[in-house]
This record gives sequence, structure tokens and C-alpha cells, in this order.
Amino acid sequence: MTVHNIRVGESKRGDASDGTLAEAVGGRLSRVDGPAKITGAAKYAVEQQLEGLAYAVLVESTIASGKVRAIDTASAEASPGVLRVLTPDTIISLRTASDWLGTTPPDKPYCPLARDITFSGQHVAAVVAETFEQAVAAAALVNVSYDETPSIVDLSDGKAGDGIAIDAMTKEWGDAPAAFAAAPVRICAAYNTPREYQAPMEPHGLIARWEGDRLTVWEPSQWLDGMARTYAEWFEVPFENVRLVSPYIGGGFGSKALALSHGAVAASAAKMIGRPVKLVMTRPQTFTGYGGRAATRQTVTIGADRDGVIQSIVHRGVNETSIDGMWVEPLGSVTSIMYATPNFSSKQNVVRVNSVVPGAMRAPGENPSAFGIESAIDELAYEVGIDPLEIRLRNYAEQDPHAKKAWSTRQLREAFAAGAERFGWSRRSPKPRSMRDGNQLIGWGVAAGTYPVRRAYGEAVVRILADGSVEVESSSIDMGQGTYTILAQTAAETLGVPADDVVVKLGDSRFARAGVSGGSRLAGVMTGAVHKAATSALDQLVGLAISDPRSPFHALQANTLVVANGRIGSPRGDGPDVSIAELLKSVGRDRIEATGDTMPANSTAEDRYKNYTTIAMALPHTEGDYSRYSWCAHFIEVRVDEDFGTVRVSRVVSALDSGRLYNPKLAESQWKGGIIMGIGQALLEEGIMDRRHGRIVNNNLADYLVPTNADIPDIEVISVGIPDPHSSALGGKGVGELGIVGVAPAIANAVFHATGKRVRDLPITLEKLI
Amino acid sequence: MTKIPVHLDINGRHHELQIEPRVTLLDALRERLGLTGTKKGCDHGQCGACTVHIDGERVLACLTLAAQAEGRAITTIEGLAREGELHPVQAAFLERDAFQCGYCTPGQIMSAVACIREGHAGSDEEIREYMAGNLCRCGAYPHIVAAVRQAAQEFAS
Repeated sequence: MTVHNIRVGESKRGDASDGTLAEAVGGRLSRVDGPAKITGAAKYAVEQQLEGLAYAVLVESTIASGKVRAIDTASAEASPGVLRVLTPDTIISLRTASDWLGTTPPDKPYCPLARDITFSGQHVAAVVAETFEQAVAAAALVNVSYDETPSIVDLSDGKAGDGIAIDAMTKEWGDAPAAFAAAPVRICAAYNTPREYQAPMEPHGLIARWEGDRLTVWEPSQWLDGMARTYAEWFEVPFENVRLVSPYIGGGFGSKALALSHGAVAASAAKMIGRPVKLVMTRPQTFTGYGGRAATRQTVTIGADRDGVIQSIVHRGVNETSIDGMWVEPLGSVTSIMYATPNFSSKQNVVRVNSVVPGAMRAPGENPSAFGIESAIDELAYEVGIDPLEIRLRNYAEQDPHAKKAWSTRQLREAFAAGAERFGWSRRSPKPRSMRDGNQLIGWGVAAGTYPVRRAYGEAVVRILADGSVEVESSSIDMGQGTYTILAQTAAETLGVPADDVVVKLGDSRFARAGVSGGSRLAGVMTGAVHKAATSALDQLVGLAISDPRSPFHALQANTLVVANGRIGSPRGDGPDVSIAELLKSVGRDRIEATGDTMPANSTAEDRYKNYTTIAMALPHTEGDYSRYSWCAHFIEVRVDEDFGTVRVSRVVSALDSGRLYNPKLAESQWKGGIIMGIGQALLEEGIMDRRHGRIVNNNLADYLVPTNADIPDIEVISVGIPDPHSSALGGKGVGELGIVGVAPAIANAVFHATGKRVRDLPITLEKLI
Repeated sequence: MTKIPVHLDINGRHHELQIEPRVTLLDALRERLGLTGTKKGCDHGQCGACTVHIDGERVLACLTLAAQAEGRAITTIEGLAREGELHPVQAAFLERDAFQCGYCTPGQIMSAVACIREGHAGSDEEIREYMAGNLCRCGAYPHIVAAVRQAAQEFAS
């Protein structure tokens, strides 16, 4: 990490209002990478300044389906400053790489520039020039002609069909159809979510540089080792020859975990011209250069008794995928666990459309799944005349209804109670359209959310240096979650040194290996690994102090020593009291180093490679005796203009169970960020297709509406979590994805309460209300 | 395209460039001068990540040609902290955790400094409105409002 030469006043270090020292695990330490980010000193991946850098710009298909007939590159090649024009015919040949499961790939070439077009916006050519401006100008001169064939625009296209059944998604117990048919109260409704886009503020891009057969890639990445593996396989060089560097990431939300075709283009170009090449997607290209959240359709039917107790849930889901890729958005993930039901059936299909293959976006699966079930149970509440909060408690799942295992921890009841109390839910008037302020209809809605605790093995290096300072190294990353900060806190607390004396280095694949930073798993994995490595370093330090004849503690014949605030002493306080630096000097050591990994003891090198470069060794959240999830409850107030149908979110209170928080200040920020993205999903975000050309038309930040500051009210978050020893070494569960899950249905439920109109089709735009 | 000489005064330092007239101020900063604190989020004036000050007013560097800024005083995020002391807005952003990934942050801070100077930080409502041109996908908005409010109060007292 960048060394900061900025003085930060003590008051800026974060408060210790709850009695926890700010820099201890669980303390509210301010971001240690904050000074670099607020002064502009933080160098993001593509901001490295390299000698001889050339610039590449992509040319994309303007049809959604067909073949490239010809690419005329003459004008582009003659344009000033152009070094090379890459087409499917001129780009070097690569090999197909394995996927993120590590499945052996087909033994065939891979070309990141397409001849066969399966979606609009597919990369077909690239121009490399001396300057960015020259590359942009020349890219506009590349003339591509096509033989166009009919395309399937999206799920609503008449040609789309019913798709492919994904049997692995089927979850069934009891006899759901029969129980539904027999139930005295029955509801059935369809819920749709559109294409949504991660839209991180930092566009995707990279700098690629070859030195012989060694490749360095500076690229924003949620998974350095996974992406390094892909580059190595594409270019048929050893894994060790590829170095990924990603010190800061300008937002990912799931979209920066995999090496993508533009990366292959840039690295190919660098190899072809023998110079480092920088390629950054334009903002419009970020809407087609990788996949956002797939559009989804769900049907939820609930059979219940007259007291609102659920007897049966039948759920059918569909998500779109691409013509030649496969993305399954698990739509039954929340449906199958949120409520107790004796009878259940969930099935899912995927439908191929002419789109880039969809991808992971904040809580893939859980997010749209919750929109379905959390809207449906609200509909049931009105059907039977029970308060929407009460019906959720009446159907509370005391154990995992699907896995039939005990929850590791489930503070959802506590979340409902804390949120309702703070929000003032008891003052809610139950009838729709019964609360208003002038011409604004007021609605109060509630919904729950959840996300599984994804676990994996981790590795870290902890080094105590001659001056007593500590280094932590890991190729894991910080895209804003606070990894730098919580790992500094973990090392500081474990070793007994001030957090100021800990430097955390992340985002370089030369450091200790790390798996994907996705699925809210990184904090739990990495705090465990750093804790283990730091414990081992501490043992070495104390061992030296006790046993080395040159140590001032040698004569003490103590069994153990205490390290606190960077000084070593005996537990009883008698005898010497020296700094770590003094001890290391006295025993003639310039450092102590420990590598900690949480892999099983008998793991092979192959296991380790597989663990860090694929997701194949991730631990199931229902492994062993427990089912592990984070939980939340959102209470949201909306104000709907009665004449115009405009919806504003005016108040949010959310209570969340992420287990133990390693740093509440940063966790609260992430929760709020998820909630805000959920407000965007509920009211604003939607990829709009040009049906003639199968092309997204709002592929920019002025037309694809994400929330602005003016759209967002004060948001109150309440932590109701307790340490969960079954979920991680230090007791935390997931934070990053949880916040968004349940927000959209809470808003849809509030809109129903305000207006009496049930909107089952996101986003809730004004024309759906008037 | 013929290159032209462009003289830029950035953070009190003079810079001389030979660039094509079509080079934006943003690309001049990031690609020619190594001043990468100013971020490119959209290159179309839609996100605010490239906000800098020209003669004290907030301007989008992606919609400004470098040549247009000649002879005017440009301030970027790198020029905000003086002699190692954080600007009060920077300090408030850190204290209030008004950012996560940090990519929109330089633009937010430059906008916030100008927002306060313009007299548009009188209430939370006003701050939200006058900071609405700077997108933050991490969703730090409530904390940005808190930071701007805090810094504005420090300036007022």
C-alpha cells in the first residue's frame, strides 16, 4: 500500500464510543487506506505510469446476431499514430482457459475477437496507437460489415421459448401442489426483475506488459490468483509467470472477479507490439463487455391457512443467459429457507438470448429471489388480514427448512424487533392509502433478507521487522470493504502492537495466495488467516525472548511473556520491559516471519493451487451440523405523489445480523451501500433494449439511472448480530451482499401500502402507478 | 493532428505540454502529467469523478479541453492538502467514512469544497441537491452529506 505522509489527527482515528478500543478487532478504526484515497495518492491499477505505453481501443459489433463478413482496416491503419489493428484474423491465437470451477477446458483455440456474433457490443477488433486520442480516432475508422441473422432480444421475445431446465436448482419436499390445492387461502403472482448493471465507478481496464514469457497485468481485480490462472492458460505460460497487480479497486460488485475478453485483447496486443498496452473500456462498453444481473421471472404460489400459516410454496423461476454461455441466477435460494413450510417445490429454467453472458452482481440469486418471496408473503398478509411483520413471525423458520439443520445463528427475530421499534412500526395504519401528508401518499413496508456464509481457506504472511513494525501480506484485495483496515486490526490485536505500526500490503499476486473476494467471504477468510499467521509470529517472538541466551528475559525462566502496545514483559509485570525492536536487536534478528494458512493439514500443493485459483474447494454453508446465513430486516417509508406517481424513499431503518463485526464503522458503510443499491434497483435501474437491433440503449450513466445523493434519505442501520463460531474463526458472517437483499420488496410493499397498487415488475416507475 | 504547446498552472505549479488540441484536461492530467488523483468514470460528464477546480469553480475535466484551461488556475485533489495537513473536507470524509472504494472520492471532495464555498451547504437537503452530480456506486451518500455538513460548520465557525 502507498505510504502516507499525511498527518491524521487523533480524532480522525475513529471513536471508541462503545468502549472497544478503535484499533482492536471490533473497534471503529477509520480506514487505514483512507488518507491515500482522499488525497489522490492511491494509484489504481491502470494509473501506473510505464515507459513506452501504447493505448488500445475496442471496436464492438453493432448487430446482435450473425457473422462478420469483412473488416476493412485500411483507413484505421493509415491513421496517425496507429501501431496495429487487431482483428480475428490478425490477433495471435490463444488457448481456451478453464472456468472458475477449474473444469478442464476443451482443447481448442480461443479468440477474444469474434467472427460469430451472438450479442451487440461484442469485441470484433481493436486499434493500438501511440496515444489514447489516436486510438479512439482510428477505432472509429474500422469498417465492419456483417451478415445479420435474427436475434432473440430478451425474455419477452417471442422466439425465446421456455429454455433449459436446470435440474440442479430443483428443491422439493412434501407434496407442494397437493397442499396448495387443499389450502383455504391461495395466492399466486409473477415477479420480474430487469437487466441490472454493476456500474462500478472505475471502468474495467488493464495495463499488460510482457517481459519475455512473463506477463504483468495491472488490472482491477476481485481475484488476483483466479485471473492469473486464466491469463496463464490463455497464453500457455506457467502460472508463476503471470503477476496481477490491483492495489485498489474502484468498485466491483461482482463484476471484477474474472479475466474477461478485453483483457485477452490487451495482453495479446502487448505481446504483438512488444510494448506495454493500456486498454480501458468506455462507459458504454462496460454494459456489454461483461454481464450484469440477468433479467429474471418468477412465479410464487403460496397456500396458507386462514391464520396465514404457510402450508405450501410452489416456485418457478427463469433467468436469461447468453447464446453460448451459461449463467444460472439461483432464484429459489431465499424462497427455500426464509419461511417454515411443510411442502415446497422450486424449479428453474434458463433461456438463451442474444446477450453477453450475465454475471455476478451483489447477492446474485438471493437478491431477485427475495424480491419474489418477500413480495408474495406481503400479498398473503393482506389476503388474510394480518400485519406484514406478524405474518413473518408466524412463519418463522426455527431451523433451515431445506437442509433440515439448525441455524448456526439467526438473529432475524431480533432484527424484526429492533427495526420495528426504531422505525415505529406499531404506529402503522394497516389499510393501503390510509396514511398521507398533503398530496403525498405514505407507505410503510417491511421485508427480510439473507445471504449464505460462504467459507474458504485463506493464507497470509505476517512479518515483524527490526524496528518493531509489522507487515501483513496477502494477494487478497480491498475494493472498499475495508480489508486493509480489518487486517491491520487483526494483526495489531493478535500481536499486541498499535495498529499504526502495522502495514497491510494487498493486491499483488506475488504475495500470499488468496481466493476470490466475492460472496461476502473475504473478511471471514482473511481475518482467520491473519490471526493464525500473527499467532504463529507471536509464538516465535515469545519463544525467542524466553529461550535465546542473549534475550533479557532468558534469566527469568518464564513459561510465557506478554506483548502489549509493542512492548514485551512478564505476565506478572516483574522483570524487564523492552520494545519488540530492542528484543530483536538483542537476539540478533532482523525479522520474524510467519505464514499462516487455514488449509487442512494434509493439503497438497495441488490442493492449494485449486483452493486459491478456483472456487471448487469452497466450503458449503450447510456443511456439518449447521446452516449458516446472515440475516436482515428492512423497514422503509415511501412517499408517492398522488398526481404524478413519483416514488421517493423517505426513511430506512434496517437491522442486520452479520455476526460479529470486525469494524462496525466500515460494516455500517457497506450495509448502507447495499441498501442504496437496493433503492436503485427498486426505483431506477433497468437495461432498456432497442428491440429492432437487440441493443441496449441506455448504456451510460445518464440514462442507466443509479441513485444520486439527492435520491437517498438518512439510513439507520442496527447491528443485531452475535459472534457465530460456526461461520468464521473470529465470529463474523457476511456483510457486503446482505444489505441489498430485501430492499426492493420492502419498497414494493411500502408502495402497495401507500397506493394500493402492487407492482411486481421492477423498477417501480411512475407509469406503473398512474 | 498537429500538436500545440499548452501551458497549464496546476496546484500552483507550471506545466508545459506539447499535445494535440483534442486532448481533454482529464487525459492531460492522467496520461501526460501523472496526476491520477482525478478519476475517469464515464468521460461524458455524467458521473462527476473528474471534478477539478478552475479559477476556484468546479469543472468536469473530461468535458474541458486542456487548451481551454490555459492561463487559468487549476486545482486537483493532489493540491488540496497544504503542507501535509488535510483540508477540512478531506478530514471530514475520513472521519465520517464518506467513501468505500475511493474512486469517486476525489471528485466528491472537489465538489464538496466548491459546494461549501458556493454557499450551497446550508442544510442536508441542499447538500444532497448540490452534490447530486457526483455519483457514488458504493453508496456513501449519507456519510458524504454528514462530512460536508461537518466541514461546512467548521468553516462557518
